[in-house]
Amino acid sequence: MKSEVEIQDPVTTGILDRLMTQPAPFLEVLHAIQDHHGYLPENALKQVADRFKIPISELYGTVTFYHFFQLEPKPIPDIRICENSTCCLHDLEAISSEVVDADLGVAHSGQVEKISCPGRCDTPVPILVGEKFFHGARAGAVAEATAAEMLLPPETGLEECLFRDIRDGVGTLDGALAHGAWQGPAMAASDPQQVIAQLKESGLTGRGGAGFPTGVKWEAVKNESRGPKYIICNADESEVGCFKDRVLMAHSPHAMLEGMACAGLVTGAEIGIVYLRWEYPEILESLQIAIDEATRAGMLGEDACGTGIPFHILIRRGAGAYICGEETSLLNSLEGKHPFPREKPPFPTTHGLFDLPTVVNNVETFCAVPAILEKGAAWFRDLGLGENAGTRVFSVSGDITRPGNYEVPVGTSLRELLDTHAGGTPDGKAIQGVTMAGISGGFVGAADLDVALDPASLTELGAMLGAGGIIVHDESRCMIQAARESMHFLAQESCGKCFPCRIGTVRVTELLDELIDHSTGNPVIRSHPLEELADLEEVLGETSACGLGLAAPFITKTMKKYWPDVLQDYIEGRRPERQGERDAK
Amino acid sequence: MTDTMKMQLDGQEVSFTEGETVLEVARREGTFVPTLCWDERLDPYGSCRLCVVEVEGRRIPASSCTLEAEEGMVVRTGSDKLRKMQSTLVEMVLSENPGDECPRCRDIGTCEVHELAEQFDVGRERFLGAISNASKEDSNPFLLRDYDRCISCFRCVRICAEVEGDYAITMTGRGWNKGIATAFGGPLMGSECTLCGQCIYTCPTGALADKKMVGQGSIPGKVEETRSICPYCGTGCSINLHARDGKMIGVTPALDGPVNEGALCVKGQFGFDFVNSNDRLTMPLVRKEGQLTPVSWDEALDYTAQRFKSIRAEHGPKAFYAIASGRAPGEGAYMLQKFTRAVMNSNQVDNCSRA
Repeated sequence: MKSEVEIQDPVTTGILDRLMTQPAPFLEVLHAIQDHHGYLPENALKQVADRFKIPISELYGTVTFYHFFQLEPKPIPDIRICENSTCCLHDLEAISSEVVDADLGVAHSGQVEKISCPGRCDTPVPILVGEKFFHGARAGAVAEATAAEMLLPPETGLEECLFRDIRDGVGTLDGALAHGAWQGPAMAASDPQQVIAQLKESGLTGRGGAGFPTGVKWEAVKNESRGPKYIICNADESEVGCFKDRVLMAHSPHAMLEGMACAGLVTGAEIGIVYLRWEYPEILESLQIAIDEATRAGMLGEDACGTGIPFHILIRRGAGAYICGEETSLLNSLEGKHPFPREKPPFPTTHGLFDLPTVVNNVETFCAVPAILEKGAAWFRDLGLGENAGTRVFSVSGDITRPGNYEVPVGTSLRELLDTHAGGTPDGKAIQGVTMAGISGGFVGAADLDVALDPASLTELGAMLGAGGIIVHDESRCMIQAARESMHFLAQESCGKCFPCRIGTVRVTELLDELIDHSTGNPVIRSHPLEELADLEEVLGETSACGLGLAAPFITKTMKKYWPDVLQDYIEGRRPERQGERDAK
Repeated sequence: MTDTMKMQLDGQEVSFTEGETVLEVARREGTFVPTLCWDERLDPYGSCRLCVVEVEGRRIPASSCTLEAEEGMVVRTGSDKLRKMQSTLVEMVLSENPGDECPRCRDIGTCEVHELAEQFDVGRERFLGAISNASKEDSNPFLLRDYDRCISCFRCVRICAEVEGDYAITMTGRGWNKGIATAFGGPLMGSECTLCGQCIYTCPTGALADKKMVGQGSIPGKVEETRSICPYCGTGCSINLHARDGKMIGVTPALDGPVNEGALCVKGQFGFDFVNSNDRLTMPLVRKEGQLTPVSWDEALDYTAQRFKSIRAEHGPKAFYAIASGRAPGEGAYMLQKFTRAVMNSNQVDNCSRA
């Protein structure tokens, strides 16, 4: 089991000595080694395996799971370009070939690698060279893509919770303090039960998509006697079409940090960890500045906000894996295990990080907490329409005039969000359909655009609200192709553990490809494609081991529901009227 | 001892003890629950999802291998809906393997995947598309590795880790591109692998097999299995000898072997060539004028006794050193030390399995 390390790499030794005393150092150690060497050398990995007491084979396997850990040196970086749904609507294929010769002002190898959505759907198409992003590449003018800019959310005129001060410079500690930030932790320390009661009363639920009541979760962890406990902020926003957490962290980091501190002081956890997706390097930098500022000012640290109780926050970077947004995969990833989802129960509230009681909440959820504590549970609850509590942030992209993040009351109609706030389609074309939950919530077709944006209403339509990403497709698009792009992403990002998801997402993608190709004269292999599709949907939706596979049928079921005629055209080998842009693959 | 608890299984009340999984309870009751990722020696894994059951109060089926039985739980195993999904899953698994003949089924008897295909009466007809296609050459002498047939149940990886503690192989990549490899992808012989063969024995497909057994499919005749004890050392592992036409073609470990519980080492698993070897000693040989010459047992024993005596007379007892073979039984080893001490007057005794 012990690997023999022939030549000790002094850099790795130094990194290990420095980081091994920190909580959950695994990912940080690997990133530090890769940052220094440009890749993960074999002997360095052997040293890591020795120090973490992980078999070297297991470590090797775990490293190969992630997109962005490299085992070979690559002195000149490749060009990486998003291949997913929103970018497919923006001349992806043309941009991919053009970018090879484009002068972006940085050295690149000329090799183009397609990557999964890096959360820049408001400024498509993003190009990544090394760790530098370029936004807004257009066909015919790729070189004009600009360095990444974190756009502020467009104004809506609505009363907001998360965005209420976001345009007023709350990114810095001074700015945040001027708007009343960092009052919550003292309340959390003096009367944790009251904070839990407030959260329960407010109706705040998990904004990562699962919608579990936040107050109940915190209370469960508070009541656990085992420790140390952990607070984890899930900032691994990786769903295609979702970029709300990025903007919240860029412009309102102190709300999130304060929310985490409140969770720590309520539950008795002294460590908070932000699991930040690798694809947000700008946030890594700005968030660390915010943490340092808050720590220097005594908001965080050994005596957090003058409560006499310690609370520290540190960042752990992911390495490119959608599944790590699933909370139990995230925990395995932090622990240095193969990042497969765990069996639930037990849940993280009792058996979380290192099997200890852990709060895992999404960025948006933590961001909402300070405002609720400041303005009251009733205020937040009343922001929602009808029976619904609060607001939610929706990331809108695709065929839309003003792509971006919109905070609207839960229960707002989809049409109001798209037409009134986001300006409708840019060229006046009718909307044919939109994706929900990013992509994994399926579609809502034109007939149902008046649906209220709340979980129950979407479920009634056979779709899922989820994490609040919405990709708009106008009438010129092919929705079978859109479904194919959604399923392709899930197939790319399936962890590969459970059979229904590993095989099923690939087979559904192939089946849709086959139907689409059929219209161009290619033969069909399947004699009963719809029957096969229905059988695949059934095993995916009922036997998959985690939410990724379980959600996959939303895509094809809503596709069949809204666009049966287009599907029938393909099955019969006709080129449908709405062929859409076939530049997606 | 904990009290016995009760649950409902397909309408019948059944007892279970704390910690038992629903799969264990169901199988104990003789209920058919298919699995592919399950091996009784391994921790429950819940990846093939074939063992799904309906549990009252749950929206969707649960994998019974990872589900602990609870007091009052109401479980259904074989509804039409479950059978249909299990059948689809088997078809999906078949679709990711190549369509040609499975070498394991042809030459060794059967594999779990094709047994299930037969049970569900399905073939490789639907869900066709890419095959796993991760074939890998490996120059080791014993283990056939044909990962085109891999179904990513990771039983090989898990048995290597959980039972053998060798951690020679790991799962790489993710999703459809999941593979099995040693650290840094090198050959097995350069890894922590001891060639114990546990991976091939737990493999439910033809992806891993005994190289020596595969390829004998063209030889006519029925394969006969004989339960035996491994002759290599004093541990006494239970094995099954596979023979065709009176000739040994392979060894498999016996799962119910009281000392090995299905484990074997490289010698017991693969080291049986001597049985049919031309070089095998079949009678005593004595070197006469530089030539090894066949002799009778009487002559050989007389000659040996003579030499022992003369050596002791000429050089003293310390010239004698006895090493008992690990393959000898305890009684034989006892006799050798007795002989060495009482007859040869030497204390120099050892056993090869002491190292």
